[in-house]
Amino acid sequence: MARYFAGRLGQSVLLVWLVLTITFFLLHLAPGDPMARYDDPEMDPETVEMMRRQFGLDRSVPEQYARWISNFARGNFGISLRYNRPVSELLASAVPNTLRLTLLALAVYMILGVALGVTSAARKNSLFDRIGTLTALVVYSIPSFWLALMLIMLFSLKLGWLPSSHMQSIDASNFGALELFRDRAAHLVLPAFVLGVASAAGMARYMRGSMIDELRSDYVRTARAKGLSEGAVLMKHAFRNAAIPIVTIVGLSIPFLLGGSVVTEKIFSWPGMGSLMVESIFTRDYPVVLAINFIVSVMVILGNLLADFGYALLDPRIAYSGEEGER
Amino acid sequence: MSGGRSLWSAGWARFRQNPLAMAGAVTVLLLYLVAIFAPVLTQYDPVSHGDLPEMRHQPPSREHLLGTDKFGRDVLTRLVYGSRISLMVSFLAVTISVVLGSIIGAAAGYTGGIVDAVLMRMVDALMSIPRLFLLLTCIALFSRSLLLVTVLLGATGWMGTARLVRGQILSLKNREFVSAAEALGAGNSRIVLRHLIPNALTVIIVSATLRIGLIILVEAALSFLGLGVPPPTPSWGQMVYEGRDVLLDGWWVSTFPGMAIVVTVVAYNLLGDGLRDSFDPIQFT
Repeated sequence: MARYFAGRLGQSVLLVWLVLTITFFLLHLAPGDPMARYDDPEMDPETVEMMRRQFGLDRSVPEQYARWISNFARGNFGISLRYNRPVSELLASAVPNTLRLTLLALAVYMILGVALGVTSAARKNSLFDRIGTLTALVVYSIPSFWLALMLIMLFSLKLGWLPSSHMQSIDASNFGALELFRDRAAHLVLPAFVLGVASAAGMARYMRGSMIDELRSDYVRTARAKGLSEGAVLMKHAFRNAAIPIVTIVGLSIPFLLGGSVVTEKIFSWPGMGSLMVESIFTRDYPVVLAINFIVSVMVILGNLLADFGYALLDPRIAYSGEEGER
Repeated sequence: MSGGRSLWSAGWARFRQNPLAMAGAVTVLLLYLVAIFAPVLTQYDPVSHGDLPEMRHQPPSREHLLGTDKFGRDVLTRLVYGSRISLMVSFLAVTISVVLGSIIGAAAGYTGGIVDAVLMRMVDALMSIPRLFLLLTCIALFSRSLLLVTVLLGATGWMGTARLVRGQILSLKNREFVSAAEALGAGNSRIVLRHLIPNALTVIIVSATLRIGLIILVEAALSFLGLGVPPPTPSWGQMVYEGRDVLLDGWWVSTFPGMAIVVTVVAYNLLGDGLRDSFDPIQFT
């Protein structure tokens, strides 16, 4: 088991290095000198020179590459061209905001997805199941930015129930603790729902299939034969086994949640990594763009690792068979 | 390839029995017809601004079935022309990614050894950068155009196909018909192109169809962020964006393009699901 974990960890480090290498080559594949596009009179020549030094463009390519890897590995992402502050400082304020939104979205999608999937499986081929399956397909096909606008139109503009942007009200500094909590919670509802609901559709589809398989198995027949109530069979037996792969799904869903956060944060003016990414692209703030790309990839790789570890802990056969077999 | 024919006709027979799949196929077909015959379907211009201020933000009416936008342009007309962007970009992008993925997957699976290891680790690494971030990083580094968006959408989506094709090739390459071809003296490229790829073709086509829906969504998201197809060319994502400031007084500007995206993506997903169930009952379930 320990060998399996060590092996997976080693693979992950290798992946991080590969991601860094790919990004480095992307930067150098861009046509011409990466600085060439700054040859317009609007740019301050000093800034251009600073960037040139920051990217180490005055050095040889292998030397640049070595510096690139060692800087990123140490969390030294350089200076933001727009804010003239270390990129790591910008990230330190943006990353927790993204995590708060993403974790709540994760909760939304787990609860919605599992509930819908299990109920559909329990009433397989019923009207509820059919409508649920079709709804999941449609929800999965809705562009999140449009869903967000439609929900804002209804709940913020028409009904006035929920705020449509930012993390808290402008006058939040005057609020008491309870009031502030409620204010922040209200600001989370729409973005977390929008971010979570598309993945919930996938989760529902998965849970439904997985539950139907479990409900067909021998131990479920035994449990029913013993005279257990259908509810107990469903929750105490079938669900426990069907739920094992959820850790894997959660781990593997991180790229979708993070990708979705770009659009969701932009619409709801949520000051996280996604908003920072979009803004940095328009202002051509390369150091920030590349750093976010790196952070996000590390999160995805950690998610994969979590999925592998969780699965191996819950089902030890995986680790043992994984040791000799190839991937 | 005598077995191939019956496989296809049996699959087609199953496909026709599936009403949802047929609905998807017919909708996709209709969308292509709309895109092709756009100038016949509407007499308005999708790009040029209406000259009269009172034409702006007109609610749906008999002249403008889906209303007008902030420049007085007919929303239905822009919707019809916008289908060209969604369909063309997604089709080209998925073609690029399928060709690229098939070549790389086949090379990895057939060659094996170090080539396989290197190519597959590269796939792993590229897959650990979420697609939207990879796309945005590329867009930041290169300059922006319709062609670039299409190529990038294709170039960032081939990894899944590569894994799929590699798996297929691995399972096929030790089968008797491949040994027979080898014994007859067929070269490597002939074996891959004439024997292995055709046998993996159904899997490739099904996965490509299932992927188109996602590409349409990503393209729309890019356009919405203002990083996709440059205006004034109408694209659905950008039309949704243009309506965001007038959600109350001009709800039609954002609402209808979004519905068009949903219908298109649902249609492709139904088509893809149907193809999968009909032609590959075992492989994907």
